[in-house]
Amino acid sequence: MISRRIFRRRWFLALVLGASLLYFLVSVFKQSEQSVVKDTGDYKPPEFDFRRKISWKPRFQARNLANKTDTNCRNSVQGKEIIADERGFVCDREDILVGGCCDVTSLTTRRFTCASCQDSGCCQVYEHCVSCCLQPEKQPLLRSLLDHVPDAFRTLFASVTDHFELCLAKCRTSSQSVQHENSYRDPKAKYCYGADPPQLRPAR
Amino acid sequence: MPLRPLPEFIKPKAKADRALGKRTKNKVTVKKGAAFWHSTGRHTSRRLLRTVPRQITNVLQADLLWAMGFSGSGIKVAVFDTGLSENHPHFRNLKDRTNWTNEKTLNDGLGHGTFVAGVIASSKECQGFAPDADLHIFRVFTNNQVSYTSWFLDAFNYAILKKINVLNLSIGGPDFMDHPFVDKVWELTANKVIMVSAIGNDGPLYGTLNNPADQMDVIGVGGIDFEDKIARFSSRGMTTWELPGGYGRVKPDIVTYGSGVRGSGLKSGCRTLSGTSVASPVVAGAVTLLASAVIHRIPMVNPASMKQALMASARRLPGVNMFEQGHGKLDLLKAYQVLNSYKPQASLSPSYIDLTDCPYMWPYCTQPIYYGGMPTIVNVTILNGMGVTGRIVDKPIWQPYTPQNGDYIEVAFSYSNVLWPWSGYLAVSITAAKKAAQWDGIAQGQVTLTVSSPPEEGEKEERTSTVKLPVRVKVVPTPPRSKRVLWDQYHNLRYPPGYFPRDNLRMKNDPLDWNGDHPHTNFKDTYQHLRNAGYYVEILGAPLTCFDANQYGTLLIVDSEEEFFPEEISKLKRDIDNGLSVIVIADWYNVSVMKKVKFYDENTRQWWMPDTGGANVPALNDLMYPWNMAFSDQVYEGDFTLGDHDMYYASGSSIAKFPEDGIMITQTLKDQGNEVLKQESQTVDTVPILGLYQMTGEEAGRVALYGDSNCLDNSHLQKDCFWLLDALLQYTSHNHMPPVFEQQGSPFSIMNVELPERMEGNHLARYSKVLESSLAGQTRPLPACPHLSWAKGEPLNKSAPTNLYKHQKLLSIDLMEPPVPNVVRRQPGIQHIVSDGVGWDIQPGVPSHPHNSIQSMPVFALAGLTLVVVFFAVHIHKSRSKPKRRKPRLKRPTFINIVKPVV
Repeated sequence: MISRRIFRRRWFLALVLGASLLYFLVSVFKQSEQSVVKDTGDYKPPEFDFRRKISWKPRFQARNLANKTDTNCRNSVQGKEIIADERGFVCDREDILVGGCCDVTSLTTRRFTCASCQDSGCCQVYEHCVSCCLQPEKQPLLRSLLDHVPDAFRTLFASVTDHFELCLAKCRTSSQSVQHENSYRDPKAKYCYGADPPQLRPAR
Repeated sequence: MPLRPLPEFIKPKAKADRALGKRTKNKVTVKKGAAFWHSTGRHTSRRLLRTVPRQITNVLQADLLWAMGFSGSGIKVAVFDTGLSENHPHFRNLKDRTNWTNEKTLNDGLGHGTFVAGVIASSKECQGFAPDADLHIFRVFTNNQVSYTSWFLDAFNYAILKKINVLNLSIGGPDFMDHPFVDKVWELTANKVIMVSAIGNDGPLYGTLNNPADQMDVIGVGGIDFEDKIARFSSRGMTTWELPGGYGRVKPDIVTYGSGVRGSGLKSGCRTLSGTSVASPVVAGAVTLLASAVIHRIPMVNPASMKQALMASARRLPGVNMFEQGHGKLDLLKAYQVLNSYKPQASLSPSYIDLTDCPYMWPYCTQPIYYGGMPTIVNVTILNGMGVTGRIVDKPIWQPYTPQNGDYIEVAFSYSNVLWPWSGYLAVSITAAKKAAQWDGIAQGQVTLTVSSPPEEGEKEERTSTVKLPVRVKVVPTPPRSKRVLWDQYHNLRYPPGYFPRDNLRMKNDPLDWNGDHPHTNFKDTYQHLRNAGYYVEILGAPLTCFDANQYGTLLIVDSEEEFFPEEISKLKRDIDNGLSVIVIADWYNVSVMKKVKFYDENTRQWWMPDTGGANVPALNDLMYPWNMAFSDQVYEGDFTLGDHDMYYASGSSIAKFPEDGIMITQTLKDQGNEVLKQESQTVDTVPILGLYQMTGEEAGRVALYGDSNCLDNSHLQKDCFWLLDALLQYTSHNHMPPVFEQQGSPFSIMNVELPERMEGNHLARYSKVLESSLAGQTRPLPACPHLSWAKGEPLNKSAPTNLYKHQKLLSIDLMEPPVPNVVRRQPGIQHIVSDGVGWDIQPGVPSHPHNSIQSMPVFALAGLTLVVVFFAVHIHKSRSKPKRRKPRLKRPTFINIVKPVV
């Protein structure tokens, strides 16, 4: 009976209420301190000298282009029908040689082609964008691009090592390519090597 | 010369603004806000005790692969989630962390990303599958669970550059028409990134698959509990991409444990969570472990071969259909055996078509085929492990088995021209041949197709693979006209891309109608009911001009959003005059209400204005104009009884125009339109909601109208009215007036009621197959009816076994089946922790680990609140039961004076 009466005392209940409130506030405070204050401390956006990091020298000299046997190329991997290799050739998937290079003797193979590209620097076909971007005369444009790397591309470009990787990465659709998040700015020319985003077309 | 900086990127402020506030139409949301994962604290304690959390790696026997020396090393696994803190004690091989959100942190403030990373790669306490894998953390969600497609695009590009092998996406949304996102996922898999994604937490409703898990090139993972039951939350049903003309694909691909799984806590320790967000990293972790186990053959590991291995080894769960379990439960060890001896090849999902196999081949097994019926379509996914691109050589060949009546069925194909990336479809349409019109039996045959891919490195010849698809079909004689019901799918617009609001206006947190409105998605129970009642339900995925009305008793038009071609309107009138009956079940449509339910979508940064109401009533009224019938623009809601059935009218329309000699049923309902617009509650008597009419003419059919479709729709179903549909069909198909209508119905003349007008400036034309997009109200030319060219059979004198299921096996290279070592099952140093953990986790409502402050906060709040409530409860109790003199004020003066003398 004594214990029951104690529970009913006003001071006891007030004590319980106070204690729990205190505990609540302390834990909430502790939590916000933990997750907010500490979190922001260890984040640094990457800082790079993008221009210096990237190698512009082509790995291939003109004379060994036709050399079929001992050449290994990186290429654009993903294509449905065509592929761009790191030397700037675009060819049908069937014309890829052992080692990943395009067969330069094939009639359909083109080098540094800007076939589906517009003057704005945006192309309809990804592989054309890569090939066009690999043109040596596009280097000044790309270098200037690297002087003003937008925040969204800093992490990406910081990991790029050479001209080919830069073109592969730059030509992909990105946050620059969309409007209203769920549609392309220009569905007909969405792969851009240049600095400008695709031209904005009204959604549907 | 420096170029002009891009306007898109110099507005960090604008970017920050986007993230503020909550998004309603989430493209890539962390599974619907709070329902994202189901913390066990929310379940009942009984459920908690039953699903005692188990060490997931032990259950799947990952320790046997660990004992062979495989632990994920050499494989790059990416987690796209809410981040991870750098010095979390569980992770020993954290390679890279990047942030793609507008919050300046790499750390997880939520616990979701940490948990997911833990299931994949934790090395302590609650162990993950691949502790030595290179862990790449991509923070793409803010602590408020906000994310945008554009963040994903940039993060995905980085993942491609980093040559990630396995990527886990415990995220998803309904918007498979988000082309930039869908294209990017294709691009990732085309670059050999194995994508694993959660199928969604929107179950048990059908038609709830989430993107990107619903893509052919992605491994879509559903959830089960530790009793091998499909978890209630796991999304299911076919994909809705192919509607209305085609039929959906089978998803999820596989299922695994997603209920009560232990994983890493936010700061340290372990916690228990449920959701397909949990099942996905279980598979991603297993895939990482498997890839490291076959690292000596890594060139043959690709998104298709991994998926093929998982599917071929999965263990089928009994009593569950393929639209819930896919190929079955993940079997890690068997997958290792399959993968280790894998030879690049093509395979099919499902790997056979047995339309008699119940319940696995639901809904096919619920209705036999017959001559004259709409063809049954099976959408088979072709997986091509030989290369990222491939094609079907010549055409698929149909080979009926002569001894097994193969010639009683006919088969037509449509398929992807190019299989890219790693996959494509083969739609098989099946119908009974004319000579089977009176035949009853089972017909069998097979489809053979050859897939080719360009040669890979070091090869000269192109790669080819031939696959066989056994087919087994039950054929019955064509049922009588009165038993055949045709469901109009063509005029039901599937979400996305437009905003077609919910049919029930009270469901505010789920404003979109996105489940496909198909008898095999959210009208599943209606379908099942009709089948049980003996009706044969066929689906019309083409305009109303494309069916032979003499074959069908009743045409069902339920909740249609699409417009009608003028040719359809006149054809249907002729059909009715010639004996076809029609049931139209409408829904609300009121322009003012539509304007009221618009919302701002933070994700697309646009206002979303509905393009129709719950149904497109103006279009229906055009269709019914020649019948002298129409629905009104009123919105009604309320409970009522019809016969001896309780009914609920959830945001429906009323009948505005009906022939005077028709039979009408009226009810007293609330004017919900008024309630939405003016916040005033008002009841209206004699609202005409149901009408029955025998059309005039010697052979004319009958028409039945009802104003609300919610009672047939599984999404947000409150009180079903399948009985009502039965009764309506009794009337329309059998010309028998059910007693309930005889008693309650009466001729009723309607006063002047306004008919709804189409909303000015609606964008329905953008999504419509009927309207010309440039001019409102102008229709396109009527499309040609679909024409199937039936494949010429090449009969085979062959018999197939009665059970087709066992016949799926991947080809293997000439290699001894890799022994799964008969190691005594050691549990490396985690056993005692597991049992510790159990002690923690079975306490209802208590978080898994005391350090996990985010999780425990609500518990403290709850405890505090409870104490306050108890305090007041005791207080009140005290004052009531034992009134003390201290509180005379509570009593009335009269009482004090007369009844009880004051002390």
